[in-house]
Amino acid sequence: MDSRPGDETLLLAVAERDMGAFRTLYERHAGWLAIRLARRCNDRDLVADAVQDTFVAVWQKPQGFRGDGDIAAWLWGIAIRRLVSRLRTRGSVAAVFENAGTAPAAEDQVLLSVEYGDIGQALARLSPEMRAVIQAVVLDGLSAREAAQLLHVPVSSVKTRLYRAKAHLRAALAEGPS
Amino acid sequence: MTGWHLDDDTLRRYVERTDSLAEGTSAEQHLLSCEPCRDRVNAAVGVIELSPIDFAAVWERTRDTIEVPRPSVLERLLRVAGLPAHEARLVAVASAFRGVWLTGLAAVLAFATLAAAFGHARGTWLFLAVAPVVPCLVVASSYDPRLDPALEPELVTPYPALRLILLRTIAVLVLALPVLLLLGLFIPTEEPFAWLLPAVGFVAVVLAASTWFSPLRSAIAVSSGWLAVVPLLAARSGSPEAVLQARVQAAFLALAAASFVVFLARRRRLTQLRPWR
Repeated sequence: MDSRPGDETLLLAVAERDMGAFRTLYERHAGWLAIRLARRCNDRDLVADAVQDTFVAVWQKPQGFRGDGDIAAWLWGIAIRRLVSRLRTRGSVAAVFENAGTAPAAEDQVLLSVEYGDIGQALARLSPEMRAVIQAVVLDGLSAREAAQLLHVPVSSVKTRLYRAKAHLRAALAEGPS
Repeated sequence: MTGWHLDDDTLRRYVERTDSLAEGTSAEQHLLSCEPCRDRVNAAVGVIELSPIDFAAVWERTRDTIEVPRPSVLERLLRVAGLPAHEARLVAVASAFRGVWLTGLAAVLAFATLAAAFGHARGTWLFLAVAPVVPCLVVASSYDPRLDPALEPELVTPYPALRLILLRTIAVLVLALPVLLLLGLFIPTEEPFAWLLPAVGFVAVVLAASTWFSPLRSAIAVSSGWLAVVPLLAARSGSPEAVLQARVQAAFLALAAASFVVFLARRRRLTQLRPWR
């Protein structure tokens, strides 16, 4: 790789109140964080607020990163929780996952079966609500409570949907590709 | 780092959000650990008209947020009480709220209270002399430009000075009055709050007088006047109850009302505003 400083070096500099390093960190991570957050929430203002909150939190507590794993993963963990917390205070805006509901093109189907095998098709067959729960809990690593706030449903619904979704996936994988 | 990377089509579908859940999830997991692919997403966000947010604006806001010092306890309290952030700051930066002042005044007051608790009549007079003076000194110091260098840049920006002064006055009273009331409970008289109306009266007089003189000078003048009158009262009636008479209390109330009217009528002449108007 080139000689540009790694994220951990930047984070150490941020801890020393280095605004330049902070700026670089923002330029490296704000883009993909915003894209990923926008896939969880359609309200652009909320996404912008969550990105802002994330970097403010990084500036205030850079030592929150314990040095294990990727800084990107740490940032995402902050960002998704900031988004949840913004959603909680705003209250009325619904998070949406509707793009997951569009039927994949035939080309994608081939790609999926090649790259992800049966799991991709099994996921595609889930209802949008169940996919949203799977995405929030299994893939984003949120707690049932946080997922409930993100999706604006009761905690109990998150739990039942997650249970049913797992059962669906298990059955789909057991019976094999149709 | 593996040799596998997102191909251009997958990346485009991911950014455009036209991918499937499985594909998107796979991309997200990969992005968490792959810096080159993150850079490509960032670049795509810049090029494609799909930028979810205005990154320059969010950066500005982020920088602004981290560059202002963390709000003080008082400021946060004011915000909880419903005051907008910028007003909470204006109110809270007053020098009267910088601990030293309040501590000093609390010490004087505690001394007077102790004297009152142990020294009976004479001590009660002392408390009656000091207690009403405290709020008006603190109020004056909360907006005297000499004690508050922060006022200068604040008042250069267009901001209704009247509103600022009243907000600060209210904030000071909210802080100071409970302390005084609490201390008043230790005074062995039937009416531990006899000083309340004089205090209100003096604060109003200070506000009115500060349309002619500087707030601090007004407060010192009012306090000295009261401190001079109290011994006379004590010598004449001998009992602190003299101040409690309905007539006297009504006079203080009238004084407060009249002074406040004067203050409102002359608010454009608040002295500390002159250099900037």
